[in-house]
Amino acid sequence: MGGQACVFYGAAEFSRDTDLAILASSENLARLKKALEDLQAEVIAVPPFEASYLRKGHAIHFRCRHPEAIGMRVDVMTKMRGVDSFAKLWTRRTTIVVDGDSINLMSLPDLVQAKKTQRDKDWPMLRRLLEVNYFENRKDPTREQIRFWFLELRTPDLLIELAKQQGRIPDPLRRKRPLLELVVKSSKSSLVDALLSEEQKEREADREYWAPLKKELETLRHSRVSPVKR
Amino acid sequence: MIQPEELVGDEWAAWYQLSPSERWTESERLWQIYFLLGGSLEPEPDTQSPFFDPLEPSARIADGRPGMRVLRRSRV
Repeated sequence: MGGQACVFYGAAEFSRDTDLAILASSENLARLKKALEDLQAEVIAVPPFEASYLRKGHAIHFRCRHPEAIGMRVDVMTKMRGVDSFAKLWTRRTTIVVDGDSINLMSLPDLVQAKKTQRDKDWPMLRRLLEVNYFENRKDPTREQIRFWFLELRTPDLLIELAKQQGRIPDPLRRKRPLLELVVKSSKSSLVDALLSEEQKEREADREYWAPLKKELETLRHSRVSPVKR
Repeated sequence: MIQPEELVGDEWAAWYQLSPSERWTESERLWQIYFLLGGSLEPEPDTQSPFFDPLEPSARIADGRPGMRVLRRSRV
């Protein structure tokens, strides 16, 4: 669901870890545990590999020791801020085949929600993911794509172009994304400011979401029995 | 209609115009070059990530070359 999915959908992410979104059922966790054993993966840092931490929204971090994957980092999570339940993500997934193996990727709209984080690097990536999707599909878009672009595009020129092509922006979308009023007026400089403000709000919401989880991580770090030797 | 080149320049526009499978293949090719150059899979510290732990043990340094030193740099 991370860097590899971003490459597939059009951004150019050089991510050196593999992020997996999983269903935190006991049966699935047992399968994951077996797969991680095959990779000789060890938990690094906190929290420990327990379903309760995954269900709270934490990620579990692993490093592989198997010779064919030595050093590879795997991050596993089951819940992300602003993202639907795993069951819904699964119904919308993209499946690709690489060298005969099926790989399931988060759908683009779900990936976009997952990338609305507090980190600087996610925002240029979001913009690129949306631009690629728009350029690929603008000649013959579906209603869902038009709705998706009105709600998510982060490029002022493309938002203005989209509005001109569509002739009107449906009221429910205007209510959902107030900056679309500026798109109607083709007010590019105001739109730039509004997009930045929208980004700042999302980043702040992400910081607030993580505050209690970070506190819990700090507590876990401090309660480690043996201090880490460096 | 706005063209990708006008918006993001030629290099990004060329990337945008690849199909998803072409991007995937190109990315795999770049990974092979990265490994041939001695790159490792150790992620760079991401201090903005909520998961960032300054005490997290690192397998090896990110550029994969323990003896690296600066040979030349500007005075700025």
